[in-house]
Amino acid sequence: MEMDVEKIGEVAVVTLPGEHLDVSNIKEFKRNIASALQENSRVVFDLRRLRFVDSSGLGAILACLRQLNNAGGDLKLCEVSKPVRALFELVRMHRIFEIFNTKEDAVHSFAAVEETV
Amino acid sequence: MKAIILAAGRGTRVRPITYAVPKPMIPVINRPVMEVLVRLLASHDVRQIMVNTSYLAAEIETYFRDGARFGVEMAYSFEGRLENGRFIDEPVGSAGALRKIQEHSGFFDETCVVLCGDAVIDIDLAQLIRLHREKRALATIALARVPRDRVSSYGVVVTDEDGRIVEFQEKPSVAEAKGTTVNTGIYVFEPEVIARIPSGVTYDIGGQLFPKLVRAKVPLYGAKVPFQWLDIGKVSDYYDVIQMALRGEVNGLSVPGIRVSEGIWAGLNVRLDPSQCRIVPPVYVGGSATIEPGCTIIGPTMIGPGCVVESGAYIEKSVIFDYTRVGFCAQVRNMMICGDYCVDPAGTVIDLAQSDIDWVVADARSPKKALTSEQQQFLEMLQQGRADAFEEKPRREVYAA
Repeated sequence: MEMDVEKIGEVAVVTLPGEHLDVSNIKEFKRNIASALQENSRVVFDLRRLRFVDSSGLGAILACLRQLNNAGGDLKLCEVSKPVRALFELVRMHRIFEIFNTKEDAVHSFAAVEETV
Repeated sequence: MKAIILAAGRGTRVRPITYAVPKPMIPVINRPVMEVLVRLLASHDVRQIMVNTSYLAAEIETYFRDGARFGVEMAYSFEGRLENGRFIDEPVGSAGALRKIQEHSGFFDETCVVLCGDAVIDIDLAQLIRLHREKRALATIALARVPRDRVSSYGVVVTDEDGRIVEFQEKPSVAEAKGTTVNTGIYVFEPEVIARIPSGVTYDIGGQLFPKLVRAKVPLYGAKVPFQWLDIGKVSDYYDVIQMALRGEVNGLSVPGIRVSEGIWAGLNVRLDPSQCRIVPPVYVGGSATIEPGCTIIGPTMIGPGCVVESGAYIEKSVIFDYTRVGFCAQVRNMMICGDYCVDPAGTVIDLAQSDIDWVVADARSPKKALTSEQQQFLEMLQQGRADAFEEKPRREVYAA
């Protein structure tokens, strides 16, 4: 699973490549995302390809947020498909993450935060 | 008088609810849609009812049996076969069903009523039959108006000033539609109509038989009898019907159960203390359910029999089927939870079995498992949440209402 990482200013936008993030591939995901999380403090996950997440996948995404928060950074999400969004809301994860329609909106929100600080 | 209820469809547009039950057996609070129809027929003294079945036939046949419980006589025309221990559906179409029964026993030897088994209706059948007889019609269709932007889901019917049907348009585009009056799937037939259905082939009433009758200039009439027509074509329709039923807006259907307080009803043996939770009516809680203190239920919401709603859970405008455990951290909004699936009115599905989130939604009959360390970690991370002001409430309260 190669991670597609695009830098837009200071923000790293990672488009998750797979249609699913679950117990079958989270080890691989964690390995492949490690460098992006270490090298960047402002990260956006573009989830446009993601159709299915299970509890392991949710945990993996949350762990990324925690890692970035601990390092003083942040993780935001964009392009979340309907079934994944529905699952997030069911488990209340949508109240922990900022979720945007487009990656541009997600990237700009980092700048907005900076301006208010 | 005789009737047939057409109950052989697969209900594919109401999946995933119809994975477990055929559409006519979809419950409207505490009774299947088809029971509303059987009782309607009985109230109009139509007491000999044939039902064609195919998909999940046993669900229908074991519930109604010979109809004695409902004050009617019922029998089934099964369209399928048993092969290697599995039932294979072999539906023959709505018109094919009538022809099959006729060839079997000559059942249709007088005027009969034909109902599609997937709509909640309160039509005055006496009025419909009277209009049918006045026109000396061979077949009469009960018509209803729908909003123009919805005609593509229905069969549009064009009549002349006398009510005689001159044209059918099956699911036309909005631009092509010649009107907004549609076929409701409620018919009155004379036996001669059935003779015009070809034998041994799959044949549909709306798409094939009616256009054939129009071409043959057979007296086919549309009747504009006002009635409440709640057609359950897709998931959102079903969701709307339940919401209406809970608000008392479905004619002839009152919310069952004991009135716990204004707008809150419960079945027997329900553990519920409304003073300990936040309940906004209308809410129905089915028998033997457990509603723990500290949860939030905002209506219109239906909690099925045997459910458990844990302290801290949030449920709003939802339908929770039998024996569901809604966990302390769940937020169920505008959702239907039916067995292994969550589905919203738009049809977005969460497969609960595959998602492996049993601490959020599970079967209430499974013993509650201790959280795995992974799940505990997950919940801790959720609890810690975000440190900044994104949340209106302090992050500690992520599970509070």
